[in-house]
Amino acid sequence: MNYLFIANVCIWVGVGGYVLFLARQHSALERRVRQLEILDADE
Amino acid sequence: MFRIYPKMLMFLAAATMLLMAVGQYAIWVYAPEEMTMGLVQKIFYFHLPLAWWSFVAFFGVCAASVLVLWTGKEKWDVLAGVLAEVGVLFSGLALVTGSIWGRAAWNTWWTWDPRLSTTLVMWFVYAGYLVLRAADAGGAKGARMRAVLGIVAFVDVPLVFLSARLWRSIHPAVLASRSGGLEPEMWTTVWINVVAWGALFAAVVLARYHGAGFARRVEAALVRIQEKTLQ
Repeated sequence: MNYLFIANVCIWVGVGGYVLFLARQHSALERRVRQLEILDADE
Repeated sequence: MFRIYPKMLMFLAAATMLLMAVGQYAIWVYAPEEMTMGLVQKIFYFHLPLAWWSFVAFFGVCAASVLVLWTGKEKWDVLAGVLAEVGVLFSGLALVTGSIWGRAAWNTWWTWDPRLSTTLVMWFVYAGYLVLRAADAGGAKGARMRAVLGIVAFVDVPLVFLSARLWRSIHPAVLASRSGGLEPEMWTTVWINVVAWGALFAAVVLARYHGAGFARRVEAALVRIQEKTLQ
């Protein structure tokens, strides 16, 4: 039962970690888009 | 040019949630407890889909790499990278869950069995491929270089799949025996979870592909604006 619990934790931490990574990539992208908008407004 | 499919992504995300809920119900309530190993056998319902979808991901890397060489289009290079990323995640989780199951079933975390060893080699090869991608050798030459590695790396994947049949292995070849020693309810649970993890796989690949595609478009637009400003 303990091993089953550990395996479950590993799986969902792995999947959750990757989703967090995706979220970070997305926020970095949002920053770049804001930069783009500022540059565009300067034009 | 990267096409974006937001509606498809929404649909896949909703389908993933629904299928995962059904899959979890099947694992914990519907599937009977295995007589010899007991509850720990339920790791199998995660381990198998993760391993199978990682094979699909690596096959996708190979196919996308061929398309890079054939068409020279950037989108295939991006897709290959995304598939390799998800494949490394899934095969890594398959290795971890396999190791935990091995500890319970064989009383060891790891053994240099053909199936386990070839899987570990596969994981390292694709992790190396991702490191090379992170180095960002830009331009068409870099894309071609990544494509060649993406094709060569696939050599190990059929070996992993066939290793339990070709060599003496303690790892069972599930598809080699007709029933695999499983009850019909267990097989139903396996297939539900294969589909659920497939939906998650597709949703994550599409989400990452959208992100990577958008990022490249934004970078290209920034470069264009900066060039205009300098003129």
